Amino acid sequence: MATKKTDDKMGQSRQQIGKKIEEQATGIVADIMKGAGPSIAIPVRGSRNVEFDKEKKKIVLGDKIAHRYLFNVGHARKFMQTMLVASYVKKDLLENNLTATLRDLYYAKKHTIAGTKEDTIDDQKESDLAIVDFEVSLDTFREKLNLRAEPKGRMAGSVIIEDRVRNKVDSIDLSHMGSGGWAVPSIVEQIEFKKVDVDYVLVAEKNAIFDRLNEDEYWAKNNCLIMTTAGQAARGARRLLQRLNEELKLPVYILTDADPYGWYIYSTMKYGSMALAHESDRLGCPNANFIGMSISDIEHYDLKAVTIKAKDVDIKRAEEMKKYDWFKAKEWQLEINKFLEKKIKAEIQSLSSKNLQYISNTYLPEKINNKDFLP
Amino acid sequence: MAKGKEVVVSPDDLSKEFKEYSVAEFFKRNRQMLGYTGKVRSLTTVAHEYVTNALDACEDSNVLPELLVEIQVLENGHVKLITEDNGTGIPKQNIGQALGKLLAGTKFMQRQQKRGQQGIGAAYATLFSQITTGKETHVKTSVGDGKVVECDVSIDINSNEPVLHNVKEYSAKFRGTRIEVELAEVDYNRSTYGAFEYLRRTALANPHSQITLVEPNKEITVFPRASKDIPVKPKKIQPHPLGITTSDLMDMAGISQARKISSMLQNEFSRLSAEKVKEISSMCPNIDLDRAPKNLQWSEAEKLVDAFKRIKWIAPETDALQPITTDQLRKSLKNLLEPEELRISERPPKVFRGGIPFMVEAAIAYGGKAGAVGSESKGEALRFANRVPLLFDAGNCAITEAVKTIDWARYDLKDWENMPVSIFVNFTSVYVPYTGTGKLAIAAEEEIVTEIRNALMECARGISTYIRTLKRAADQEERKKIFFKYITEVAQCLDEITGTDRKQIEEKLRKIAVEKTSILVSADEEEAEKDLAELEKAAEKEMVEDGESEE
Repeated sequence: MATKKTDDKMGQSRQQIGKKIEEQATGIVADIMKGAGPSIAIPVRGSRNVEFDKEKKKIVLGDKIAHRYLFNVGHARKFMQTMLVASYVKKDLLENNLTATLRDLYYAKKHTIAGTKEDTIDDQKESDLAIVDFEVSLDTFREKLNLRAEPKGRMAGSVIIEDRVRNKVDSIDLSHMGSGGWAVPSIVEQIEFKKVDVDYVLVAEKNAIFDRLNEDEYWAKNNCLIMTTAGQAARGARRLLQRLNEELKLPVYILTDADPYGWYIYSTMKYGSMALAHESDRLGCPNANFIGMSISDIEHYDLKAVTIKAKDVDIKRAEEMKKYDWFKAKEWQLEINKFLEKKIKAEIQSLSSKNLQYISNTYLPEKINNKDFLP
Repeated sequence: MAKGKEVVVSPDDLSKEFKEYSVAEFFKRNRQMLGYTGKVRSLTTVAHEYVTNALDACEDSNVLPELLVEIQVLENGHVKLITEDNGTGIPKQNIGQALGKLLAGTKFMQRQQKRGQQGIGAAYATLFSQITTGKETHVKTSVGDGKVVECDVSIDINSNEPVLHNVKEYSAKFRGTRIEVELAEVDYNRSTYGAFEYLRRTALANPHSQITLVEPNKEITVFPRASKDIPVKPKKIQPHPLGITTSDLMDMAGISQARKISSMLQNEFSRLSAEKVKEISSMCPNIDLDRAPKNLQWSEAEKLVDAFKRIKWIAPETDALQPITTDQLRKSLKNLLEPEELRISERPPKVFRGGIPFMVEAAIAYGGKAGAVGSESKGEALRFANRVPLLFDAGNCAITEAVKTIDWARYDLKDWENMPVSIFVNFTSVYVPYTGTGKLAIAAEEEIVTEIRNALMECARGISTYIRTLKRAADQEERKKIFFKYITEVAQCLDEITGTDRKQIEEKLRKIAVEKTSILVSADEEEAEKDLAELEKAAEKEMVEDGESEE
């Protein structure tokens, strides 16, 4: 019964978004028939139209709107590409209940424009940007358009979920996924949590740490769900993390390298990003906590001998981050200042200098028990 | 190539040499002074002498010039140049003077504005042929009285006297002059310095003439007549003292009928009164003005000319100028250049050196066949003095100086040298201040350069307007093309989503595109540019920050 209900819900949402696309297109056609040059209203993305909502703890989009015009030399091609995306999503994906990758879309819509030597899309970057324009213009996100982002991230822990591929439903026990763990798909809306027997979620930015923790049976011993994002978290992983936190009220702890890039990965998972500010609501996980690693950790765990000298780009990044509203907490300002002062960074693996299982047996339990987190 | 500077010979050298040699001997030794340097240039110079004489001869008899110029390369490498005109013809008794005696021209005395002004040209061609090939120059001429004279002419170098051989006289229907001259140390090609270019430019400045050129490869080019209006004959006036050179004065003295130098000055010059003769006399106390003119020495003539320059004169009359006229020039340039746009200046005469009248006719032709012959989109500056093309020594010329100092960028012609542009300047004056004996360049005197600049800038303003219109049209066309390119795709997408007939959307979009491209920059377009900047900024950072990959 539950399955059926989800199916209905999904179908409904599909119909809704299809209708939205149709409305947008109908509006454009109406403009054309009136003799007006067609345009699409798109909220401006990027730093100039992004702000930090302190209450919601999210990076959100401002209300600046720009238009893409067909009859402007600079816009024309992109307008056309956005239309290609719209028709592909509506006609090929939603109407057939199929999902596709960004690359699929690229190949499906790439062709030579009749009577010219020009291709509709030169390289995938163009169609990727058109997709973002399109999803923002509809105030939706690509997963709802049946577009899949790159699946990245793995999980392991005592949780049973149900996933579906079109109408086939699979029950998956995340505690029996072997050495590799369960691969988080790019679209996670359809996933249902069936049996959840964990106290928290531990996210490591690095594959190697996940493998270490999995080998050490850390999740079994500590009754948690472990996850790796393999660098900057993919949309699927971020969305799933949010659902785990908000639907199941599980605390989320995030572990990254002790450097500005690691911290930025954390902030993206927690607050969202500037580029995808329109999706913070859906992808952000404002309650997540930063478990490590910090510059203070380097001092506390006496890792000075295994640090790396910071590069210029790291320092530049840190200086930028220091100005971001979402890094204004005094703990973070302190960390960033320490970093800028000492100009050193450390990888999570530096903990292995103590011993291989130091992270599983000492560092993480200690941190979690003491609630030694950064906001 | 013969672009070298004129060899500068000081008046002292000249007078010394004149004493030692005959005029013929002098110029034989100094042929570079007359433009006989370089093989291509030498041939062009010979052609120039005959062509200018031919055009003058036609104007004298009030006929529309029909010129034939044929160039043959002979087996021995010599070049045969044949020119034929339908002008007055040369009376039998004058043939020797016209073609076999240097500094014997008749034009000078008339002080009419003429193409050739010195009595050296055609006779020197005879001499040049003689020096280089040992051949005589063959002439066939008739004044139109049914009698034709043919003979071979050469010059006795020692005495500067003409020698005529094989004189034949017969009855035939012919009028005009045909000259056949054989030359060595010359060469023919179609470069900027060749006869082809010379004739093309001559045709440009003489719309009433029809010129046919037969090249060595037998290729026939006709520069067709653009107008049947024969230029109004310039009024004959006496020379103004300011417009005279030492050799001019010597020339006058040689043929003057006056008994005294003083009476020659008073009677044969314009604005030269008895008062002025007295003034001259007081300035040159060592010259006895009561002597016969033919006894005037070169050094004395020099001093007199110098005195002329220091005396205050009443300005010469201006109605002796014979411009091409705007109408004729327009016909001519349109006829030969078929330009997309043509601007011609219309300006009144001006004076230089305190009183010598001159007039500048400038034109700029853009597009069509404008620009240098034989190369796509290459600009050219065409210089003329009294309708005679100036091909050589551009570097020393007032016209070049004017062209060089104009800020062409202001007129959208910054790169005119690589554009289909013909810049045309004709300097008209009874007295053209040439920089050398070869009549190749106009002295860059301030009044002249300024006037040429102003005339050219007047034309350039018009061309600029045209180029801007053109650019705008090209922009609009370009924009329309861009929009049209995407319309089909957009219409198809909208059809796929909404089910509205794509043909209907397409048709409507095309209509809007045409409307949109007819306005250059509207307010909403500026808005669009701002929007674009906003959207692009975001796009740049997009992928980098989110670490999305191309899966």
